[in-house]
This record gives sequence, structure tokens and C-alpha cells, in this order.
Amino acid sequence: MSEPTSPPGLVPTVVRLKLSLLRNGLRQSGGRRAAYVASAVVTLLFAALQLLGLIALRGHDHAVSLVVLLAAVLGLGWAVMPLFFPSGDETLDPTRLVMLPLRPRPLVRALLAASLVGIGPLFTLLMLVGSVVSVAHGAAAWTVGVLAVALGLLVCVALARAVAAANIRLLTSRKGRDLAVLSGLVIAIGAQVVNFGAQRLGTSGLGQLDPAADVLRWLPPASAIGAVDSVSEGAYGTAAAQIAVSAGALVLLVRVWTRSLTRLMISPDGSTLQAAEPATRERRSSAGLGRLLPGGRTGTVMERGLRYIWRDPKTKAAWVTSLAIGLIVPVFNALQGTGSIYFACFAAGMLGIQMYNQFGQDTSAFWMVAMTISSRRDAYVELRARALALLLITLPYATLVTVLTTAMLGDWSKLPEALGLSLALLGAMLATGAWTSARFPYSIPQEGYKNVAPGQAGLAWIAIFGGMVAAALLCAPVIAVTIWLHVTEGGDSWTWLLLPGGAVYGAAITLLGLRLAAPRTATRLPEILTAVSKG
Amino acid sequence: MTSVRVRNLWKRFGQQVAVAGIDLDLPSGKFIGLVGPNGAGKTTTLSMVTGLLRPDQGSVEVVGHDVWRDPVEVKARIGVLPEGLRLFERLSGRELLVYSGRLRGLPGPEVDKRATQLLDVLDLAGAQHKLVVDYSTGMRKKIGLAAALLHNPEVLFLDEPFEGVDPVSAQIIRGVLERYTASGATVVFSSHVMELVESLCDWVAVLAAGRIRAHGTLEEVRGSAPSLQQAFLELVGAQGRDTGSDLDWLGGGATR
Repeated sequence: MSEPTSPPGLVPTVVRLKLSLLRNGLRQSGGRRAAYVASAVVTLLFAALQLLGLIALRGHDHAVSLVVLLAAVLGLGWAVMPLFFPSGDETLDPTRLVMLPLRPRPLVRALLAASLVGIGPLFTLLMLVGSVVSVAHGAAAWTVGVLAVALGLLVCVALARAVAAANIRLLTSRKGRDLAVLSGLVIAIGAQVVNFGAQRLGTSGLGQLDPAADVLRWLPPASAIGAVDSVSEGAYGTAAAQIAVSAGALVLLVRVWTRSLTRLMISPDGSTLQAAEPATRERRSSAGLGRLLPGGRTGTVMERGLRYIWRDPKTKAAWVTSLAIGLIVPVFNALQGTGSIYFACFAAGMLGIQMYNQFGQDTSAFWMVAMTISSRRDAYVELRARALALLLITLPYATLVTVLTTAMLGDWSKLPEALGLSLALLGAMLATGAWTSARFPYSIPQEGYKNVAPGQAGLAWIAIFGGMVAAALLCAPVIAVTIWLHVTEGGDSWTWLLLPGGAVYGAAITLLGLRLAAPRTATRLPEILTAVSKG
Repeated sequence: MTSVRVRNLWKRFGQQVAVAGIDLDLPSGKFIGLVGPNGAGKTTTLSMVTGLLRPDQGSVEVVGHDVWRDPVEVKARIGVLPEGLRLFERLSGRELLVYSGRLRGLPGPEVDKRATQLLDVLDLAGAQHKLVVDYSTGMRKKIGLAAALLHNPEVLFLDEPFEGVDPVSAQIIRGVLERYTASGATVVFSSHVMELVESLCDWVAVLAAGRIRAHGTLEEVRGSAPSLQQAFLELVGAQGRDTGSDLDWLGGGATR
């Protein structure tokens, strides 16, 4: 290295550090290693398929629109990734390097080199190579293509680092980590949008992309790929300008990154600021919520449960997912004309899942509950209150979804039975949820994206899937009656009976489930605490 | 009078024996320190005594009631501040106290009154509406202590209550605990800071490798040693370990 301030071989050192961190992380557990290898294989397989697809696209009229869009999406992905996966790369967390006598410029160079190691960059590299292959025609274009791939990859990586460094104060604070937990949701919804878009493209052709591509081909890193196409078409001036745009962006990004890195190295991080921050929390309307709920343990437990749905990111994410899927499945099916009113039961089923692993949702704070449960009665009231808090949301929501689905299908005569089935299913889910909460508790790690602690995946599997199968079986009597009424002559006029019948059945089975779960909970408190404190 | 009676208490985690047959009678109305090096089994013992961990063998009685057979009597009479377990951190400090108090069956207005006083005394009034997740270590220990005291227990079990706590918060915690024991209640706390135990406790049990090495009043355990620290090092067999001979290069002024 030419710079006199940089110790010899900083780049190899940092790259080696990154490799050892990666290796040591994998050495920690077999599960983690398996997960890493599996994700690597899947990613590379996906990349290989994409690469083949891109190569097959060579010569297609609208190929350039697609590859430019692809490069833009890659760039966007790299920009968003650090916000959602803040701890993804330890070697690049500048706060860990702050005590070392390193100057920003050589450090940035070394970190940039280290960033190029990994599955993500490899995936990006394959995508960019494929893009160049599909649009490059002629020796000049191939030459520019090599430059474009290098430039595109560097812009992507620098973009990610610049965004991460600029936001590190947010990312190390509690709010930032809360945000990260919700990221799964954004990804799920994003996948839906992509899916929707892909379907549209499949039906109406790649030509639809052209207007967007005309803009994107001037934006880095897509402009590097755009340049390859421009050269292929002989527009050398345009190509030079496009390359210049990407190169300029790279220089700018590295500069921004260097500056925020320098600032980070000499100022406290978010976790310190958080603790020092004066108490400016608003007065919550806690009295308002509490006054509406019953007194004693029931109201206390419900109040905390409802607060957690709103305030705890993991709980919130689970609820939003359940609410969204519970609505999307029946309504979208109804929209597409493939729907059945019975899909409305999906909402009840999805929301009933929230009753599962109740104590795991408490994390090791369950000890506070355990210290106050000294009899079966206490355990029963505790579980009943949790079910009630759930019902406060699920009951109106499931009803709403059922009515909405019915309205869209226009099949009002079937509303009572669909509602009755929903209520019976909800009751069965609450019952099995309460029982499995006591019998198969498992820990939900609060940091990161995992919802099961290592070694408890089997337990979670048994609890959720076993419980759901059991819930379906428990509903069998109501389902049987529904079918019987439909096949019996004149039975259709009595289907309204399924509404009160389902409601009573659901309530009865919930109470039974709570009664069975309570003694188990009361006698297994230490075992439950041990299970939910893991990880 | 005995507040806690432990007989033949055992706990194994796989191959490792964490607690290897503890017999202990803790006097009531005292400030009792459970001391031992890291990994001695202090947390395991306290968890089993408070009913948060099931022992493999042995019995525990608190104020005359068996912890495992008679939890109704025991749980109402004890307060616990465990180490390494979370609190309901998405509640504010005040909400946590109210939650904890009402779960224990205290009437609402009484909970509010006691919570306000505890928050004041523990210097948490300014942060009472902040979520516990945003609290510092010292504030967490203080809010945990407040939750443990809210129902006015007869015996208070505190696992490492001063670990990671700043001197100001430590002094506040100390003051509250001293006032509490002066009224006849019992405090059992674990620590590995001998100076602290020596200055606070009047009764000490020394735990090492899952066994009780010594117990009794501070004077009895200290014996002829100049300080509890010295007595402790002798008891756990760490005395005379010479660390100086191999590090002859370490010191100011020498070359690198």
C-alpha cells in the first residue's frame, strides 16, 4: 500500500479477520453451520438459475430493460439491507475497531475489500456478470462489461456500508433493533409485491419495463450496466457518461462513508446516548385502559398482554403477520373468484396461533408470573386472562373478516355457518394453545430474527403443528354437523343453528382446554421457566 | 428463629454438579450474605430456595413452610430479585410495579401508593414512565428491588443486587435494605464482593464448588483472619497463589 500511514497488509489482515469471524461463527453450533451452508447453497443455486436465465435472454429486444431493472433492484437491496440486518457483519462494525490505531482512509479501503467477501457479493457478482452477458455485443462492449461488473459491485457494497455507517447510531439504539425485528414483515410484503409484479410481467411481456428502465439506466449502479448496452449500440458518448455516473457515485459513497466513519470513531454510540437521555416519556393513558378491564389478576394480565402486542416488536410482528394473512387469504381468494366462504375461518385459525407458547412470549420474565402462581386457581385465572386479551382482538376481527368475505362473495345465507365454524375453530385453537403453552413451552430469542432458540425447534414444531392438527380434530363435530345439514334434505334451512352452536362449542372447548392446562402450568412452573429462559 | 431451612439440597446439570448437598439454617431478622467465587452455585441455590428451579433432591423451608409442598404460604412471604432473568421490559417502571403488585393481589390504590413511595425512595421517580428496556443496569436492579419489596415480604432474596450498579444507586439500595432489616425482616443476598458483604452483613455463608465451606456470624467466619477477604481465600483454597513470578517483563519504563 502506498499510503505511509497504513500498516503493511491491512487489507489482507481485515479480510482474514472477516474469514475467521465467519469460520468461528459457524464453528459455534452445527445448526448454525447447517443453516449457513443451506442458505449458501440455495442462494448460489438461485444465482446460477438466474445467470442461466440472463444468458438465455441474450438477444431479446427488451433484455436491457430487465437487466437495468435488476441492477437497480440489487442496488436497492444493498441499500436497505444494513437497516434490517445491522449485525450482519462484525468486521465492518467500526465501533469494534475504534481502539486500533488506524486512519480512516486505509481502514475504508480494507473494509471495502472485506465487504467483497461473502455470499451476498458473490450473488451480486453473478447477477452482474449475467446482465453483461445478456446485453454485451462486440469486443468494446465486453471490455466495458468487465469494468461495469467491477464498478457495479463496488457501488453496491459501498452503498451498503455508507448507509450502515450513517445509520449506526440508529442501529445500535433500541428503536433501531426494534425496527430490525419488524423487517421480516417488510420482506414478506415485499415478496408479495414482487410476486404480483412478476405475474403481471408474465402476462403482458417485458416491454412494460421500458419506461422505468429509461430512467434507471442513468442511475448507479444500473448505469454501469446501461453503459454496456450503449456501447453495444455504438453510443459511446452515452456509455462514457453512464460509466462516469457510476464511478462518480462510487467516489461519493466512499467519501460519505469515510466521513461518517471518522465521526463515529470520535463520538459515543447510540447505546450510550440512550442511557444518558433524560426521561421524556409521555404519560401513558394507562388508567384509561385499566379502568375498562376487570379487576384483580384477570385485568392485570390482560392489560399487560395488550400492551405487549403494541410495544414488544416480536409480539407485534407476530400479530401483524397473523392479522394480515388472516385477512389476505380469504379476501384475495374471494377477489380472484376462487374463494369460498369457508376460507374466512383462516382468520380465526391464524389469530388463534397467538395463544400458542404464551409463556415463551414472556421470555425469562416469566419468573415474575411464576412467583405469583401458587395454586391451580391462579394458573387458571392467568391463562383465562391471556385468552380473554386475545379474544378482545380476535373475536371482532374474525367476525369482520367473515362478514367481509361473505359480502364479497354475496353469499349471505352461508354467513351464520361460516361464523359458527370460525368461532368453533377459534375456541379449539385457544384450548390447544393453552394446553401446549403448559406442555411444550419453548424460548423465543429476543435478539435477531430467530423465533426458536437453538435445540428447541422440535419442541416448537410439535407444539404448533400438533396443536393445529388437534384443533382441527376438535372442530370435527361442528364440521360434521355442517356437512350433515347440507346433505340432508331440508337441512339447509337449519344451518343458522350453526352460529349459536359453534359459539357455544368454541366457548366450552376453550374452558375445557384452560381447565386442563391450568394444573399442568401450576405444577410445572420451574420447568416452564427453564424452557423459556434458553437462548 | 430460623427463616430458611435447607436440607441436603442437590442439583446436577448433566455431568456437572452445581449444588452438592447443602444443609443450611439462616437466622431470621438478619442481613445474610451468601458469598462464593463465580460458579460456586450461588444462583442455583437461590433459585431452588425461591422455587424458581426444581432441586434434584433435598428440601427447603421458608418461614416454616415447605417451598414445594406449600407454595401458597411461601410465595406470599418472599420477595425475589433473580440474576440473569429478564423483567417485563416493555412496561414502564411504574407499570411494572403496578403489574407485579396487582398480580400478588394487592388492591389498586394501595399498589399505587406503595409504587409512588418506592419510586421516590429509589430515585426512579424521574424515569417512572420510561420503558424498563431503556433503563441502565443500576436502574434495572432498583426497579427489580422495588418489585420485590412491594408486597412487604418477610424474607427477601437478592441475587447479586450490586453487580454492575453505580456507587450512587448502590448506596440507595443499601439504605433501603438496611431500613428493611432493621424492622425485623430478613435479607439473603449473594455476592462475590467481600468488602461489601463485610460492611453489610451480620451473618455469612461461604459457598464453593456447590458446598457450604463455612457459615455463622461475620466474626465466626472471619475468625483470626484480618478481613473476610483473607478468610474467604483460605476457605476456598485460593491462598498463596503466586502470580508475580512469570510476568517479569511487565512494568513501566521497560522496552516493548
